[in-house]
Amino acid sequence: MPKEIVAGSDAKGDCCVTVTSGKALAVAVATDDPNLFERGIREVVDETLAALAPQGRVKATVSVADKGALDYVLAARVEAAVRLAFPEIPAIASKVRRRPSAKDAPRRSRLYAPGNSPRILVGIELHGADCVLVDLEDSVPPAEKPAARVLVKHLLCAIDFPNEVWVRINPLALGGADDVREVLLARPHGVALPKAESKEDVIALSVELAKAERESGTPVGSTWIMPILETGKGVLHAEEISCADPRVVVVAFGAEDYTRDVGARRTPEALLFARSMIVAAAKAAGVQASDTVYANVDDEAGLAAEAKLARDLGFDGKGSIHPAQVPALHAAFTPSEKEMDEARKIVAAAEEAEARGIGAIAIGGKMIDRPVLERARRALRLSDRLSRKESR
Amino acid sequence: MKNALGREIPKTIGSRSVEAYAGAFAKQRSGFKAPQPQKSSVPGENKVLPSLEAAIEATGLKDGMTISFHHSFREGDRVINQVVDACARMGLKDLRLFPTALFGTHAKLVDHIKSGVVSRIEGSMNGPVGAFISQGGKLREPATLRSHGGRWRAIESGDVAIDVAFIAASQADAYGNANGINGRTPCGPITFCMVDAQYARKTVVVTNELAPYPAYPLEIQQGWVDYIVVVDEVGDPEQIASGTLEMTKSPARLRIARLAADAVVASPYFKDGLSFQGGAGGVSLAATMYLAEAMEKAKIVGGFVMGGGTRIMVEMLHKGLVRTILDGQAFDPIAVASLGVDPAHVIMNPGLYANYDSRGCATYMLDAAFLGATEVDLDFNVNVNTHSDGRLLHGIGGHQDVAAGAKMTVITAPSIRGRLPVILDRVTTVTTPGEVIDVIVTERGLAVNPKRGDLKECFLEAGLPVRDIAELKAEADGLVRPLGKPVFGDEVVAAIEWRDGTVIDVVRKVEGWQ
Repeated sequence: MPKEIVAGSDAKGDCCVTVTSGKALAVAVATDDPNLFERGIREVVDETLAALAPQGRVKATVSVADKGALDYVLAARVEAAVRLAFPEIPAIASKVRRRPSAKDAPRRSRLYAPGNSPRILVGIELHGADCVLVDLEDSVPPAEKPAARVLVKHLLCAIDFPNEVWVRINPLALGGADDVREVLLARPHGVALPKAESKEDVIALSVELAKAERESGTPVGSTWIMPILETGKGVLHAEEISCADPRVVVVAFGAEDYTRDVGARRTPEALLFARSMIVAAAKAAGVQASDTVYANVDDEAGLAAEAKLARDLGFDGKGSIHPAQVPALHAAFTPSEKEMDEARKIVAAAEEAEARGIGAIAIGGKMIDRPVLERARRALRLSDRLSRKESR
Repeated sequence: MKNALGREIPKTIGSRSVEAYAGAFAKQRSGFKAPQPQKSSVPGENKVLPSLEAAIEATGLKDGMTISFHHSFREGDRVINQVVDACARMGLKDLRLFPTALFGTHAKLVDHIKSGVVSRIEGSMNGPVGAFISQGGKLREPATLRSHGGRWRAIESGDVAIDVAFIAASQADAYGNANGINGRTPCGPITFCMVDAQYARKTVVVTNELAPYPAYPLEIQQGWVDYIVVVDEVGDPEQIASGTLEMTKSPARLRIARLAADAVVASPYFKDGLSFQGGAGGVSLAATMYLAEAMEKAKIVGGFVMGGGTRIMVEMLHKGLVRTILDGQAFDPIAVASLGVDPAHVIMNPGLYANYDSRGCATYMLDAAFLGATEVDLDFNVNVNTHSDGRLLHGIGGHQDVAAGAKMTVITAPSIRGRLPVILDRVTTVTTPGEVIDVIVTERGLAVNPKRGDLKECFLEAGLPVRDIAELKAEADGLVRPLGKPVFGDEVVAAIEWRDGTVIDVVRKVEGWQ
């Protein structure tokens, strides 16, 4: 092994684990208040080391400098450092029970959180987001990626997410395959594929997922895919990407990379083509469409306006980079009382027409077309799913 | 003996005999207060003395006597250190300090304790002095911690006799009228020391600005004041707003603040005339801000808001969201400035605020209050005094007074701080009994005191995440291994008084760990 391997940081809520080569296993713990914390920390470190190398294969000094890390953060940092030092040691796989979700579950918000920042990850499940999307791609510096994927695995194992939890992996050629193998041990609902540009990208990921599912004993096909379209090529191939694989349940738009890629400025007009293209492609494939994130956390009015635009265009949800944005997204993508009333009337009229054997549906003399009925049904389904979710 | 909360309390603590806490409102008194000093005066007397030493000399301060101070300059206070330094230079020993609160800036008191100049402290010991005492630093007698209202009561009832009160004032006249509102370095109300001025054997006003007669507002009045000393500096107003007064940015804490505000909005008290206590601390500030937004949206005009005055309260007043601010101490420069100019921003003394043995407390008029906690337990008891390792770190402030008075007391606290669980089976020290706590809000949801089924129903109807407190505890406990536990000896470091003068808990010396 190299002389010294480090995982973690000295940020609040994290810990820094250093593995240095030695003749036998030794553990050192440093913490603000040893009287309160040292015994608990040692327990976690010892258990993690035992799980990693039952035969005491780790011949090194493991030093933990704690900054208030929760148990799963400690375990993740120890595992990451030890496996970086001894690459032959296999990953820890523990039993995970994930709450089931549905292909068409509400995804009004997908809340991003950087995958290597315990300070932000701790409690990320508490903000009511329909999907939490833990990121291993852009928000994690390359050198931290190995430790980050281990941390994300431990987070997903430790936390019972009330709604969906997804992981944004790196492109397959840039570590994405390693991401998949690691995080599938913790059974996320799905994996987001950044910079998806063709159906081959999606199929390649699907193949990786199937392999990892078999290895981890997860039912094959149970992990969903969210392709993120954020290049000109990706947007133009939206149709083939949306129907590339049955794992795809939602297609997302990434405006920051898209504008850079095509040389556009970020105005509603400049994004209109990409947005409409993605919505049309997703809906044609029978899956959801999710709009790009809104980057200015302090601009509540701007967020509400952009969410309304996305809703008007046909998106089912939108990305957020801060928990404070979640309520505004839910407000924008939840059918209003008025919409619900109308939907109920339309569906009731349709049922009545069917019962009477009448082909045409009418409310107050006004004919109702098939697509209008379908939209009304969709609104009722969403509302039904939301009310069941809230009563949990 | 055991008090009503099952806490083991000694029969005597130092030289005082102890009456055990029996319930939040169990003890009722009527009768007469302790006598106040009386002294005639004649026209033409000079009260201004050239130095602190001269004033100390003139008061007849002797070894073993009690001196008192207020904390309105908070971290920026310069008077306590100057006075105790002067006492040390004059060879005084064995003094008893009776401050309304101490701060980090008073760390050098530790040296005066070590050298014997100060041997006893009656009062809240924030930060370094508290840490020193609980880590084996010796006082001749255990400290007594009291709430703001409790301190006032202790003076009026004669429980604590003050020999000399030293009162920092940003402005005073040569006859003794003094305030903290005007002058070059205003700190906000100094009425914490009003009762000291009235009951102390001698009262010295320490100011950096002598104004023409009469200096006003008349917070401290000539009839109570023996001497005035002018010094270069009484305090730095810039340091009044210390770190705890910044709005939080942490998503988890903002969620707590949002839930706390939502709880008030869902309660039956959310209507015109709503009165509430805001307070300091990032979460309380954010909760106050969210509540203000909700009031604006619902077009509700609050009756009064009580503080620690802050910028947010002043903004609410200006927007017409509340009719009045009742302000006992200013927490930032905007609140200080507003006190001088806005008649609806009213100065409140701690007696008016919360004197248990009086015919009325302003805190009893509160609908809702946001308060913090270091620890809470399954019985809804709250600890704000000691760290989980047993160290005495904070004073009581107005915690007991507000919780006892408000119709709906909301404790805001994260379920876990770093590796430190906040919800315990039993708090390390009881500051405020669960009897007067209604709701505990964590980032994982709200726990409602079982005696408030009415509130629970309101919260459920509003779709708020109501949880069982044991469930919240279990969830947080699942994230960290159990802590080491301090083993306490018999020696008492400090007594925690309830507002009525009974002892609700004691802080004992840590002797080991298990």
